[in-house]
Amino acid sequence: MKVMVAQIAPKLGDIEKNFQIHLDILENARKDKTDLVVFPELSLTGYSLQDLIPEVAIQIENNHYFDELKKISKEISFIIGFVEEKEKGIFYNSAAFFNKGKIIHIHRKVFLPNYGIFEEARFFASGNKFEVVSTDLGNFGILICRDFLHFPTSYILFVGGAEIVVVVSNSPVRGISDKEYFESARFWECHGEDVARLLTSFVIYCNRVGFEEGLCFGGGSFICNPFGKLLRKADYVDEEIFTEEINLNEVRNARIVAPYKRDDSPELILKELKKILSAKEKE
Amino acid sequence: MKINCELVKRILVRFIREELQKFGFYRGIIGLSGGLDSTVCCYLAKEALGEKNVFALILPYKDLNKKDVEDAKEIAEKLRISYKIIDISPMIDIYFEKYPTENKILIGNKMARERMSILYDFSARENALVIGTSNKSELLLGYGTIHGDLAWAINPLGDLYKTQIFQLAEHLGVPEKIIKKTPSAGLWEDQTDEGEIGITYSEIDEILYQLIDRRKPPQELISLGYEKKKIDRIVSLIRISQFKRKMPPIAKISIRTVGLDFLYSRDWYK
Repeated sequence: MKVMVAQIAPKLGDIEKNFQIHLDILENARKDKTDLVVFPELSLTGYSLQDLIPEVAIQIENNHYFDELKKISKEISFIIGFVEEKEKGIFYNSAAFFNKGKIIHIHRKVFLPNYGIFEEARFFASGNKFEVVSTDLGNFGILICRDFLHFPTSYILFVGGAEIVVVVSNSPVRGISDKEYFESARFWECHGEDVARLLTSFVIYCNRVGFEEGLCFGGGSFICNPFGKLLRKADYVDEEIFTEEINLNEVRNARIVAPYKRDDSPELILKELKKILSAKEKE
Repeated sequence: MKINCELVKRILVRFIREELQKFGFYRGIIGLSGGLDSTVCCYLAKEALGEKNVFALILPYKDLNKKDVEDAKEIAEKLRISYKIIDISPMIDIYFEKYPTENKILIGNKMARERMSILYDFSARENALVIGTSNKSELLLGYGTIHGDLAWAINPLGDLYKTQIFQLAEHLGVPEKIIKKTPSAGLWEDQTDEGEIGITYSEIDEILYQLIDRRKPPQELISLGYEKKKIDRIVSLIRISQFKRKMPPIAKISIRTVGLDFLYSRDWYK
């Protein structure tokens, strides 16, 4: 499968311009016989939206941008980020998976960061599930940015049968040192490598770049194979669109070498969690 | 405190270029004193915008800081950016003839605001946005004049401590004599930052880094062996200068109020 990771710099609140950026990338990807294109979190709108959220929100039925994207997806699959108005006045930070002319899956960000520079829970409603979607390209789970840093989330997808964990992100840089990366970039890579190795799955991480009112989004998009090897990593500062061939046989190979999947016991984990939670309830 | 200078340079260069272009500008204007921060800003701006798109204003008061003015000219010529020297003495002197004072802080603030006024006038004349040069150490300690050197359109250096700017300057190839200069606001004879604050920058920055970036409470720093007097001085400077770092308050009366819950990024539709 040929995967393209589109590390772009969306314009804040300008759906029309961002839509055009998506179309251009998708057209090139289609010509290049790419199977899947991954765009960052909120790729249609930009990040620091605040009161712009109601103005850029999309109700997916009868939306002309989405109608056009569905048409394009007859020939190429892709994941985009947008503000979804699921019910009137209720907004989600969502990612949609377009495949074979349809939206086959929407993930609504569950863990909305609300500290320091982040204030997502002030503006968005939280999603309430993590699902695996089976496609002709493989079994996918989508996580949005902070979702990935709560480590049970990838595990839920693993138990659900995911072979590819796609993480779309808008992570700003924090913490400069003399290292070649920011503290904030390094923890994505460490976590990505670990999750890929321990879940013996591919991890595709797509972040954005560019500035919004001083916030510098830190790129560094990457793909890890099911052995936890970083196959490719994009620049930390500038736009970069890269394509990588990934082979799902690697999931099988990795699970033979390291049978974490075979030896896993979600029932036991669930039992133990329930025990802890019921004890806590009694406190 | 060590920084990856090349990575920082790339980010700041992109910041200058992108933030200016978003607002339809391709040119930047910088008040160049001949000191470290404004020199570093000129280097970064030249890299971001090209030498033809950086304009330096050198704004001396009489013969105060004569050496710095020479250095500023030399920097502008070395970078091949255009510059203009405007003596602010007539504007300052005429004011204080009418309203005399012995208070050098009043005179210094007036000079900083005169420079701001000229920078913004030339910003419109030159179609160039004002690039601020205050660093993180100064911003946290409130070591700057409100509506003076604290006025800018964008500021690439505001999240770097002074000691980090020394590192960046070296990486950018800033001449050694500029790097070796004793940091000074240059508002009166023999004024130095460290003299006025009473603590050296290396101590200030180390304490600020622990307090601000690493969120260590003052008490913990004292127990780690930092001098209580210095911690107290720094904490007090940070507290009394908070007004310089925030937009002034507006009394909320309506449902939606500018500055409080009219929440749009500056980069709205940019």
